[in-house]
Amino acid sequence: MSADTDPFALFDLPRRHTVGRDAIEARYLELSRAAHPDNVVGEGTAARRAAVERASAVNAAYRVLRDPVLRAEALVKLGGLDLDSTDPERGAPHPTQEFLLEMIELRERLEDGGPAGLDALRDDVDARSEAALDAAIAALDAGEFRRAAEHLVARRYFQRFLDETEASAP
Amino acid sequence: MTSVSIHDTGALFQIAEPTDQRRAQRRPGRGIGIDLGTTNSLVALAPHGAAPRVLRDSSGSGLVPSVVAYTADPPLVGRAAQALQAEHPAQVVSSVKRLMGRGLADITFAHPYHLSEETPGLLRLDIGSADAPRRVTPTEVSAAILRELKLRAEAELGEPCDGAVITVPAYFDDAQRQATRDAGRIAGLQVYRLLAEPTAAALAYGLDRGGEGLFAVYDLGGGTFDVSILRLHKGVFQVLATGGDSALGGDDFDRALAAHLLKKSGVAEPSRHQLDGARLAARAAKERLTEETVTRVTLAGLPELELTRGEFEALIEPLAQRTLRACRQALKDAGLRAPELDGVVLVGGSTRVPKVRELVAEAFKRPPLADIDPDEVVAWGAAIQADILSGSAREGVTLLDVVPLSLGLETMGGIVEKIIPRNATIPIAARQVFTNYAEHQTGMVIHVVQGERELARDCRSLARFDLKGIPRLPPSMARVEVTFQLDADALLTVSARELMTGVRQSVEVKPTYGLSEEEVDRLVMDSLDHAGDDYARRNAAEARVELGRVVLALRTALAEVGHLRELLPDDERARLEAALAAADAAMADPDALADPLNRARTALEKVSEPFARRRMERALNAGMAGKSLHDIERALADDEALHEKRAGHTPELLEPEEP
Repeated sequence: MSADTDPFALFDLPRRHTVGRDAIEARYLELSRAAHPDNVVGEGTAARRAAVERASAVNAAYRVLRDPVLRAEALVKLGGLDLDSTDPERGAPHPTQEFLLEMIELRERLEDGGPAGLDALRDDVDARSEAALDAAIAALDAGEFRRAAEHLVARRYFQRFLDETEASAP
Repeated sequence: MTSVSIHDTGALFQIAEPTDQRRAQRRPGRGIGIDLGTTNSLVALAPHGAAPRVLRDSSGSGLVPSVVAYTADPPLVGRAAQALQAEHPAQVVSSVKRLMGRGLADITFAHPYHLSEETPGLLRLDIGSADAPRRVTPTEVSAAILRELKLRAEAELGEPCDGAVITVPAYFDDAQRQATRDAGRIAGLQVYRLLAEPTAAALAYGLDRGGEGLFAVYDLGGGTFDVSILRLHKGVFQVLATGGDSALGGDDFDRALAAHLLKKSGVAEPSRHQLDGARLAARAAKERLTEETVTRVTLAGLPELELTRGEFEALIEPLAQRTLRACRQALKDAGLRAPELDGVVLVGGSTRVPKVRELVAEAFKRPPLADIDPDEVVAWGAAIQADILSGSAREGVTLLDVVPLSLGLETMGGIVEKIIPRNATIPIAARQVFTNYAEHQTGMVIHVVQGERELARDCRSLARFDLKGIPRLPPSMARVEVTFQLDADALLTVSARELMTGVRQSVEVKPTYGLSEEEVDRLVMDSLDHAGDDYARRNAAEARVELGRVVLALRTALAEVGHLRELLPDDERARLEAALAAADAAMADPDALADPLNRARTALEKVSEPFARRRMERALNAGMAGKSLHDIERALADDEALHEKRAGHTPELLEPEEP
């Protein structure tokens, strides 16, 4: 992620997970007013394309900054680790053996529990997902990007579990 | 594990400094706002910061029925077309909005047209006669409506319009939006922007009363339903979430009621004619039941029926409940609960139905606002935005809209991988890196879909394209980055870049539905000729009237006083007769354009000017002998001043003072 695609830099915010909601909203309105493609209606293709790209960057950054998970993932990426990559050095850390066993156990509980146990199980996974995010944020605050990335990978597994069980819920 | 993040495209990134010359090429005050509706369309103007106003016909109606009759060339649009509907059901097209951006397989509702889809994804209506078949696309039918609205606006402006904002249902997908934009281009309009209907309504309401806060807009039109949740703050209209159904509207109320009326009359298998009649009767009954609680309905050749509002409400309740589900989802997507809203705005003619108002009030826990005419409020908003985009010195607003449906790619097994979630603020881009599976592989087919379902076949197919130019490298080594860009109209464009070399590749996207770029271009060229013709024809007609007026006045004067040498010397008379002959010659050509007619008039006015001056002097002398022109003017001015003074008082007050 280069400097000009850093959502924090774009919004003049320090690179940390705690952000002021009001500051984001105010800056977003300011940037949107300046960058909106409506400002260049009637101009040439290049100007219009540039405006669309600028506004897209503002909207993408806004989306990341408002969402605690995306914000954490962006900070990890700025720390040099890309969760969407499989690169052994700079990509997402592989989940530990211990974590994979935890997931297998959850899957088994899903199969055994039946519909009655589903809500309780989902609540449990939801709590684990939240805890993983909190741990990732703590690691980010301590400047430990790899540890933060590990927690965020775990959170994605929990999230996927929740998404899938929601889709199959009656 | 797969996950996709949304990025900007990196290139050309820079925060804009507000530019001053940006509007240099535009013509301020000449932007028009168009509400292109399923049942009716409207055009409105709000030039140079003025309050918006809908253009009306001579009978005072601003609603132009969205009906096109291909019984004449060029086709008839509006009320004139509607009048021909019963006589020529296949050649008179109505509710074409329901066909926009659709394929034959999507058309599951009843309609009287002969549809075909010879080119996949390109629906055509056969509107020709038995001996002269002719096919048009829904886009062209919409273009005919837009052209009519454009002409209406230009007649009002007295000059060509610069561009237009056309409203679309917020829930329109890419294909429907693209078809609308194409229709605008074919009608010869520069489409500044496609604006979501609820956003347009919010703009009209928000600017009207300096609104701040959170609002829901409930928009139930003839054929579409939309709901949007917006935040208004310091001139920024930010859509937080939107939802709806692009195939649900007041027409469905009419259909349900028509079926009910036929059933009540014991008609089991109604003819086409009976169905049409029942639908018209149903619509009229529906409108009466807004004021009345019971009404009487007569279907042709059948005994009179009694219909209560309760019966009607029971019929439409399931339809209305469908709209409320979409409202709840939109609130949830916006992360809000109903009590947090500051207001609910009603838009669309179908919100006149009392049951709809009642259910909306219940769902949002507050009485809705409907004080701007729900039929006109969308056109108002479009006109305001068009005025801003034409470059008028109007206080700017920023409209931040969202994409109504998620954008995704078909992956292995037909599963959809979402790359842009619904309700993401547009414009927005997603980047995906594609790699090769085998060394000899240099291309792959990418299928873009839109919708919320898991499987590609349950979503709307938007486009397919062949990603070519993957370098010959060992498996997984080649990397091509594809950027999916949604612009401010929520229209998709695709570009690709080979990451090893950074070379941009052109991507030829074949849209699944609608006209290809070349076909649109061809139709635009056709219409440009045509649109130019329309404008030229009107100008010529006006020039002809003007010239005729001048010629007539001059002939009258010649007949009365032309024989007086002191008024018209012989040589001058000869020049005048020559100019008159030239004017006659110009008017003799029935296809004459405005230019030669105007030239003839200018020449005539110039030659006859001394004659006119002398006649005027003579008239004045006759009335006021011995007085100078200055005296006469002063006398006239005094007279006028006296009139003005008198106008300020009532005669009753003046009379007692008279001696």
